[in-house]
Amino acid sequence: MGALLDFARGPLFRLTFAIMVLGLARLLFLDIIGMYRAYRRTTDKKMPWKLIFSRSFEWFFPVKRVIRERHVYSLLSIVFHIGLIIVPLFFFAHVNLWKEAVGISWPALPYSWAFWLTICTIASALFLLISRLTVKAMRALSLGRDYLWLLLLLVPFVTGFICANVDVGPGSYQVLMLVHVLSAELIFVLIPFSKIAHCVLAPLSQVVCALAWKFPPETDDDICTTLNKKGAPV
Amino acid sequence: MNRVQNTKLVLWLMTGFAAAIALNRYVFGLGVTTNLNDKTPWGFWIGFDVMAGVALAAGGFVTTAIFYIMKREEFHPLVRPAVLTAFLGYLAVVAGLLVDLGLPWNIWHMIIYWNPHSPLFEVGWCVMLYTTVLLLEFSPVPLEESSRYARVRNFLMRFRFPLVLLGIMLSTLHQSSLGTLFLIMPYRLFPLWYSHILPIQFFISAVALGLMMVAFESLISHWLYRREPETPLVGKLCGAAVWVLAVYFIVKMTDIVAAGKFGLIFNGNWQSDLFIVEILVSTLIPMALFAVPKLRRNSKVQWVGSSMVVIGMVLNRIDVGGLAMLDSTASYTPSWMEIAISLGIVSAAALAFLFVTERFHIWEIRPEDPQSLPHTPPSFDYSSRTWLGVPRIASLTKHTLAFVLSFAVGMAFMPGRKLHAEGIDSVTVSRATGIDTLCIDGNRDDQFVEFPHQAHISWIRTHKIPTSPADDTSGFALAGKDSCSVCHHLNLPGERLSECWECHASMYAQADFFRHDWHASPAGAKLKCDDCHTAGVTRTAQSAKKCTACHPFYKFTTIGVGATPAYHILSYTDAMHKMCVSCHVVEAKVVKDKQDLALCTTCHRVGTPPNLRAGMKWDISVPHFDNVVLPDVGLSVK
Ligand code: HEC
Ligand code: HEC
Repeated sequence: MGALLDFARGPLFRLTFAIMVLGLARLLFLDIIGMYRAYRRTTDKKMPWKLIFSRSFEWFFPVKRVIRERHVYSLLSIVFHIGLIIVPLFFFAHVNLWKEAVGISWPALPYSWAFWLTICTIASALFLLISRLTVKAMRALSLGRDYLWLLLLLVPFVTGFICANVDVGPGSYQVLMLVHVLSAELIFVLIPFSKIAHCVLAPLSQVVCALAWKFPPETDDDICTTLNKKGAPV
Repeated sequence: MNRVQNTKLVLWLMTGFAAAIALNRYVFGLGVTTNLNDKTPWGFWIGFDVMAGVALAAGGFVTTAIFYIMKREEFHPLVRPAVLTAFLGYLAVVAGLLVDLGLPWNIWHMIIYWNPHSPLFEVGWCVMLYTTVLLLEFSPVPLEESSRYARVRNFLMRFRFPLVLLGIMLSTLHQSSLGTLFLIMPYRLFPLWYSHILPIQFFISAVALGLMMVAFESLISHWLYRREPETPLVGKLCGAAVWVLAVYFIVKMTDIVAAGKFGLIFNGNWQSDLFIVEILVSTLIPMALFAVPKLRRNSKVQWVGSSMVVIGMVLNRIDVGGLAMLDSTASYTPSWMEIAISLGIVSAAALAFLFVTERFHIWEIRPEDPQSLPHTPPSFDYSSRTWLGVPRIASLTKHTLAFVLSFAVGMAFMPGRKLHAEGIDSVTVSRATGIDTLCIDGNRDDQFVEFPHQAHISWIRTHKIPTSPADDTSGFALAGKDSCSVCHHLNLPGERLSECWECHASMYAQADFFRHDWHASPAGAKLKCDDCHTAGVTRTAQSAKKCTACHPFYKFTTIGVGATPAYHILSYTDAMHKMCVSCHVVEAKVVKDKQDLALCTTCHRVGTPPNLRAGMKWDISVPHFDNVVLPDVGLSVK
């Protein structure tokens, strides 16, 4: 068990972490190249930059949405995202691992903050899961993998929380820690190949949208031809 | 099967793997990535990346000389690819140097602080100037793509001839000065390779290699893109190579005979075998093949002959650059990481070559990646059936993925344990031997300390070991058996007298003596986290119980444990120095007639003491270096 844990924390971690970081960088790179090519082809070179920025900004800080429509859902979704990003990055023991392995460190969250933020994240994830299951409109929009993602994201949070706060015996601690590490690594690997890639691609999505409006009119036919589905509705 | 695509895929994989190792080298230093040491500071990277890289780039100046100076118009198709190879070759050399130099960011020093006596000075300047010249020589090619740059291009074209001349001059200097570097090593380099005319030999062989490299490259790129090979033209190159190789052979042999070293060739040791193989592969066999006009016009023979010269001459550079020195340097074998980085640099250069030939007008007919021909069907991703984009993008999509994955594998292969050692090689400590007198030689390098152990038990009487000058060391009385804990300040579970090496297990690097995870593991001490850490508080060193809470008999105070952050233990060397020197410094003032007690020579000895030789396993191949800081106890050692 100890050897397995060492392997998961050593080589496997480096492997999966590198896949995530470089994989995301690669997506960003390919996205920008694709956008550049599309831009070169368009006849109308004027881009509505102002609109793009204000839209992106709105999506990043969806204050309006919280106030106007679906208050609870939007708020919890924000909490979920914040927890998802902050806790893994700034939890003390994680920062410490980096410090010991490569010698770089950054300020860590105080204990109580990490504690409450984790609880909030877990709670909001559960809420999101339940609302996906119960609200009709949301269920219609959800695919199987949307549920799976929520569950998968929950695993490292729950196991990490137990490891950090519950006084379990050394044996079960190791098992929990192994699950914690392995599930996090599974997430790392999947991120650049799934919808979670929006964590780096989101800033570009509005630009992509704006560009899509500028495709020459006959593009849709071309796309259908390329996809071997001539005449299909777009 | 698509040759170009598959070749590129392999090259991307190798580049990605090497990139991970290179990252490792920059973050953690040369110590963890290479097997280089103080005795062998020049290894595979110098031999292969720099020496062979420069020689392989010789095609550039050879072809430009043939075309522009000798005015042999028929070689025109070969000029651009040759200059491109030279340019990329030099960039690869620079990349190799940046990995190999200890502090590559200081390279600008050379430009400002001149040391004209050093051959390295000449080498450095030649690399920098010639790379610039090559850039200027080559840049008209990409510039001709767009009419926007016509002015710049015309400007550059006006200086084409002086640039070519300058390039030839610098190459001549540089190829030979790489040989000059080794003139200062008559005692290192095996006599068969050492020669006073090494610079001249280097130059002549570079010309031959340049010719053959251009031929080889033409063959390989025509094979890759499935086009009709330029057999007649390559045949002419081979014909020229015969003469150059002949000159090389005669010069080399005359020199060897004149120096009376001829007998060494048939000595039968591995160096002489290596020499024979090298001469056969690099010179004699290709020369014989190409000397027959019918053979040298045959494309298969061209393949064999040119690749032999290329391999043979690269071998020659590696021999001179290190292989033929092995007997006089410490045993050094390149680590797999060194080789991976070299292969990665070559792959990256090859990728750049393919990119440029596809993108710009290098060959008469621009080769098309078959994947991007109009009639190829669109490619789809296997798993989710998404379109991968137009062909060029589609291959980029695949190749970048290959890069990412192999980079990740490279990261996984990094030696994890070494990372914690901050670049210091971890050298395992072996126990001291002897009974009444101990021989302390942790790394078994035959430089040891003779420690009168039994005698110390009776000598130690008055002093607490000072950890700072302010420590009150008077009035401490330990003698006989009670004095054990002065040095044996900690016992491992189940032991009564643990020895130094058991915890101070690394010769030069700090180690974790507390073994945190062992304490908390079910196979170890089976403790729960909160047995030591307070619940509800961040788990840190400060908030954890002190060791003495459970191990009351540990004498941490005598030695000042906890002085290192996070319960790290001093390296064996540092611990010994701290223990022995700090007491001796004080005792030297107290004990009569022992003023020398704190001098290095009081303890350090060289050689194996006869009375301790039995039962001792000496392994002198352990890397040795001097990462030693004497303890700062605030007392000056006279
Ligand atoms: C035997 C007592 C003991 C046990 C059991 C123990 N710790 Fe520790 N812990 C310490 C000590 C002492 C330190 C400080 C020394 C160090 O960092 O190695 C420490 C340090 C730490 C640190 C790093 C703090 C830093 O500043 O480097 C973390 C995180 C930690 N412990 C978590 C845990 C967890 C999680 C467990 C349960 C699996 C655990 N500890 C079990 C004694 C213990
Ligand atoms: C607590 C103090 C103390 C410590 C620790 C100590 N020594 Fe000594 N050592 C002495 C004294 C005192 C003498 C001189 C005794 C005399 O000749 O009267 C001595 C003498 C010696 C001598 C003989 C020198 C001579 O001129 O005869 C050697 C060798 C030596 N020590 C090696 C070591 C080494 C190696 C260590 C560390 C492993 C060490 N000592 C640690 C106190 C210490």
